[in-house]
Amino acid sequence: MVRFKSRYLLCEVCVSNPSDLRLLDERAVFFAVKAAVSRAHGDYGTALIGMCFSVKYLNAHTGVVFLRCRKSHYRMLWSALPFISSLESRGQRVPCFFNCLHVGGTIRTCQKFLIRYNTQQLHRLLPRCRSDKERSEVRKAVLSCSLKVFRNDEEEDDEDWGGEEVAE
Amino acid sequence: MAAFADLCISGTNDKKRLQSIIETAAHLGYSTVAINHLVEVQPKKQEIGKPKCVSELFDHFPIVQGRSRPIRVLNRLTLVVSDTSHFRQTADFKFYDIIAIYPKTEKVFHAACMSCDVDIICIAATEKQPFHFKRPPVFGAIERGVFFEISYAAAIKDSTMRRYTISNAISLMETCKGKNVIVSSGAEKPLELRGPYDIANLGLLFGLSEGDAKAAVSANCRAALLHGETRKTALGIIRTVKKSQPADEREDKEAPPSKKAKLDAM
Repeated sequence: MVRFKSRYLLCEVCVSNPSDLRLLDERAVFFAVKAAVSRAHGDYGTALIGMCFSVKYLNAHTGVVFLRCRKSHYRMLWSALPFISSLESRGQRVPCFFNCLHVGGTIRTCQKFLIRYNTQQLHRLLPRCRSDKERSEVRKAVLSCSLKVFRNDEEEDDEDWGGEEVAE
Repeated sequence: MAAFADLCISGTNDKKRLQSIIETAAHLGYSTVAINHLVEVQPKKQEIGKPKCVSELFDHFPIVQGRSRPIRVLNRLTLVVSDTSHFRQTADFKFYDIIAIYPKTEKVFHAACMSCDVDIICIAATEKQPFHFKRPPVFGAIERGVFFEISYAAAIKDSTMRRYTISNAISLMETCKGKNVIVSSGAEKPLELRGPYDIANLGLLFGLSEGDAKAAVSANCRAALLHGETRKTALGIIRTVKKSQPADEREDKEAPPSKKAKLDAM
């Protein structure tokens, strides 16, 4: 028996106002992507994508989304992503766009990439700290998280988010 | 791998908006962006005018995602030409890094491909292309190293525009077979930009192959930039740069006398 292979698209939802990210939920992303595919590729595309499309993970702090679909049709999904210009969530329209960061064959490679990417973001944001006190606070926050034995990527994300907020 | 570039960002007088567009572009991973100045060419004489100095925009240019260098910002001029006789090379061209032409008729398109000194020929995105792409001018343009540009911002905004953009792009690809094509944004707002990998994938909708689509956002853009740079040089070999006075004198002293004499003799 051969398993069905899938592709995981690791996307970042970019919005103009960072506080809008809190409004995100999986349903909103699911329907926005599905609508975009049906606009770009019609009924045929929607049928192919609909077979196994799901939103695997969503981080409302950093706006990171994992999309899963069949390996044979992932290009159809990917080529529809640039046409998304807003998300409908809790009765509000959030103007945004999807930026694809990584395409992986397993969810594990995507997680590894995300951890590396978030560390990079932290390095980008650290120089923006205005004073030494801020910087040391961010360092302390990061260290307090990473000392835990149980570690998953969610924590990694939280660190990044913490860094962002202090920088602002 | 060549770095990614977006050679068309709509220039506005709104400094804040321009800054946020450039910041978003840096976040997405573009190493080079060009600010577009659109000019409709009139039959009578007219002033194109100088572009604003790029260095006034930022104190520190934002760092490109995944690299350690700051983003490079250029100026680009797009001329909308509806008659061949209107296109005239003026002295203002030298203030711009890239010159693009948007031909309205087939005659202008032919002239732009075969003879005009431009780097980029824009393809209509907001209307149906009023003429067919013929083989001889397109091949002539490829021979000369002139690039065809498809902009995707209109396609993102509206469904009918998307149809026009895709059909125009595919009719171009039938003729040029995916060579010498660049894809750029033409964004007026930061939310109209898309990531370079997304655009490379969007190229598949435009009828490009995988390799050509990637080249359309990276290698071809670089080639177009270098083509623009050769305009400032003599035959692409010699370039003259004005130096500040004290630096000039120092160099004169440093140059060995024998070499100087040789130059004089020549």
